[in-house]
Amino acid sequence: MSLPRVAAEGIRALAAHKLRTFFMMAGTIVGIAALVVIMAVGKGAEQEVLKRVNSFGTHLIKINAGGGKGYTKPQAGIATLKPEDAEAIRAAISPRCDLVVSVAQKHNIPIKAGDRQTQGDVFAVDSDWHEAMPWPAKEGEGVTAEDMATMAHVAVLGTGLSKALLGDESPVGGDIQINNIRFHVKGLLEHHDVSPGGDDENNRAVIPLTTGLRRVFNQTYLTYIRVRMKDVRDVPAAAEEIRQLLHERHHITPPEQDDFSVVTAGEVAEAARGISGTLTALLAALAGLGLLVGGIVMMNILLVSVTARTKEIGLRRALGATRRAIFVQFLAESIAVTVVGAALGAAIGWGVVEALHRFASVRVLVSWEPFALAGTFALGVGLVFGVQPARRAARLSPIDAIRK
Amino acid sequence: MIELEGIAKTYAGTGPAAAVLKGVSFVIRPGEYVAVMGASGTGKSTLMNVLGCLDKPTGGRYRLDGADTGALDDDALAHLRNRKIGFVFQQFHLLERASATQNVLLPLIYAAEYPEDAKDRARRALEAVGLADRADYTPSKLSGGQQQRVAIARALILDPAIILADEPTGNLDRRSGLEVLAIFQRLHRQGRTIVIVTHDAAVAEHAQRVIVLKEGAVAEDRAVAQSRDAEAELAALPKEASP
Repeated sequence: MSLPRVAAEGIRALAAHKLRTFFMMAGTIVGIAALVVIMAVGKGAEQEVLKRVNSFGTHLIKINAGGGKGYTKPQAGIATLKPEDAEAIRAAISPRCDLVVSVAQKHNIPIKAGDRQTQGDVFAVDSDWHEAMPWPAKEGEGVTAEDMATMAHVAVLGTGLSKALLGDESPVGGDIQINNIRFHVKGLLEHHDVSPGGDDENNRAVIPLTTGLRRVFNQTYLTYIRVRMKDVRDVPAAAEEIRQLLHERHHITPPEQDDFSVVTAGEVAEAARGISGTLTALLAALAGLGLLVGGIVMMNILLVSVTARTKEIGLRRALGATRRAIFVQFLAESIAVTVVGAALGAAIGWGVVEALHRFASVRVLVSWEPFALAGTFALGVGLVFGVQPARRAARLSPIDAIRK
Repeated sequence: MIELEGIAKTYAGTGPAAAVLKGVSFVIRPGEYVAVMGASGTGKSTLMNVLGCLDKPTGGRYRLDGADTGALDDDALAHLRNRKIGFVFQQFHLLERASATQNVLLPLIYAAEYPEDAKDRARRALEAVGLADRADYTPSKLSGGQQQRVAIARALILDPAIILADEPTGNLDRRSGLEVLAIFQRLHRQGRTIVIVTHDAAVAEHAQRVIVLKEGAVAEDRAVAQSRDAEAELAALPKEASP
C-alpha cells in the first residue's frame, strides 16, 4: 500500500466535493485569519505603547498627584502635590538630577481669540518644561524663567488649539483669552502626532506655572512633577527615595494608600506590555476557541460524509484497502482541510492586516509567531478531530457497505 | 483454484441462529467459467461474500489458490482480495467524481507496490472492454453498460486469479447485458477464471458450468452442454444505434 497515494485519494475527494470542503474549511479559515489579525494588531499596539513610553523618556521620573499603580493619568483636582514638594525633591536628589519640572493642568478651559471660542487644555509649567518633555516651540519662544518670575501673561499654543482659534494663521504676537484673562501668544509648539487611542496633545495652551496657579486656576497644588536624572541608572533608586520623601512629607505610613504615584519609563513599559499582552492573549484565545469550534464543525461534516460514503468505503475495502488505508485516507482529508484552511486563513489575515495598515493607518507588526501557531494549531485540530471520523470509516465492514 | 469444503455460515441474531449456508462444497479449477445460481434467500449472496473473502464462513474450509482463508486476518484478507479477486457488482460501484481511468486505477493504490506502468495498464484494461475512447469520462457521462465495462476493466487491472461477478447484468438492458456477457466469454477464452452469481437462468447458460444453490446447499452442479454465445445473440438483436 502506498500511503502517499492513499492520502492523495482523500485529497482528491476534497477537490471533487468543493462545497462540502469549503464548509469544512470555513471555521479554520476564519479562526486563523482572526488569529493573524489579532496578533499583528496586538503586537503593533504593544510596539506603539513602548515607543510612546520611551518617548516619555527613560531618564524621567514622574510624580503624579493621586494614588494608583502603574501608568495612571495625572488626576487634576487632587490637592495633595505642592510646589514645596517639588523643591524638597530637588533638594534631596540634586546633584543626580538635572531638571525638576512642576506642572498644573486643567482640561476643557474656555479659550477665545477675537470672536472665535473653543475649549482647550491649559498647562501651567516651569520654564524647564520645554526641555524636560522635550517639547520646544517651533515658532516664537517658550515659557522662560523671566516669565515665571514676573508672572507674565504669556502663552505658547499647541498646533491644534492654534488651528481651532486662528485657522492656518500664525498665532504668535496675537492675544487670546483664557478663562476671560488676556494672554499674549509668544510661541507655537511643535506638532505632536495624535496617538492611536485618539489622544490629541496639540489642543493646549502652555503658560507660566506662577501665572497659572495664581491667576487662572486659583490653586496651590500641582498635577504632576517631572524629574530628569542625569544617569539612567540612578532612576530606580531615585524613584524610591522620592516615594519615601513624599510619604514623610504627606504623613503616609504604608499600607495606607498613597496620595501620589511615582512612575518611571521602565515601570510603565512593564505595565503596558502586561496589559496589551494580556489583551492580545485573551483575543488570541478567543480566535483559538473559534478554531476549535471550526474543528468540531469539520468533524461533524466528516462524520456525516462517512455515512454518505459508506458505499465508497465498502468498495475500497473490497478492492483491497485495509482498515488502515481507509483510516489514513480520512485522516488525510481532515488534515488537508485544516492545513489548507490555515494557509488560506493566514493569507486572508495577512491581507486584512495590510489593508488595516494601509487604509486605516492601524499600527501593525507582522511576526512569524501567528503563522507558526496557525500551522501547528491547524495540524493539531485536523489530527485530533479527524481521528473519530477516520476510525468510524475504517470500522465499516465491506459487506454492509456494499450491500444495496 | 477455489476449493470449498463444507462451508457453513450461521448468523447469530437475537432469535434462533439462522443457518444460511449448510455445508457447501465444490472446486473451481483455473480457467473455468462457472455460474452460481439460486433464487433469493438461498444463500447466494452469502456465498458470494465468502468467495470474495468479504466475509468469513462459520464452518468448513475455503482455500483460494492454496491459501487457507480461515487462517487470515482482516489485513491479509484485504491483500488477498486485492491480489486474487476482481470484483464486478450489480450496482457497478464506480467513484462518481472520478474518470474511467481513475476508477480503473483504484485497486493499484492498495497493491503492495504501485506499478510504474499503471497508466498503460489502465489503458490496456479499458481497451479490453472496448472503452479506450472513454478513458476521461466520469460515470455520469457513461451508459449503464459502459459503466459496467469500466468496472470489469477495474477488475482486470491487477490480473486476478478469478473474476467474481455478482448479478453483473442485473441493472442493464438486454443489449448491454449481452455485451457484458460477451466480454466475460472473451476473457474466459483467454484463460480467465470467472464466477458469476445470478438468479437468471438465461445469464447462467452463458457459463460452462452451473452450480445451483437451494436452502444453503448445493442442489445441482452440472456442465452446460451447449453454452449460449453472447456474441451471436448480440448479432441476432434487431439493429439499433449502439450507445
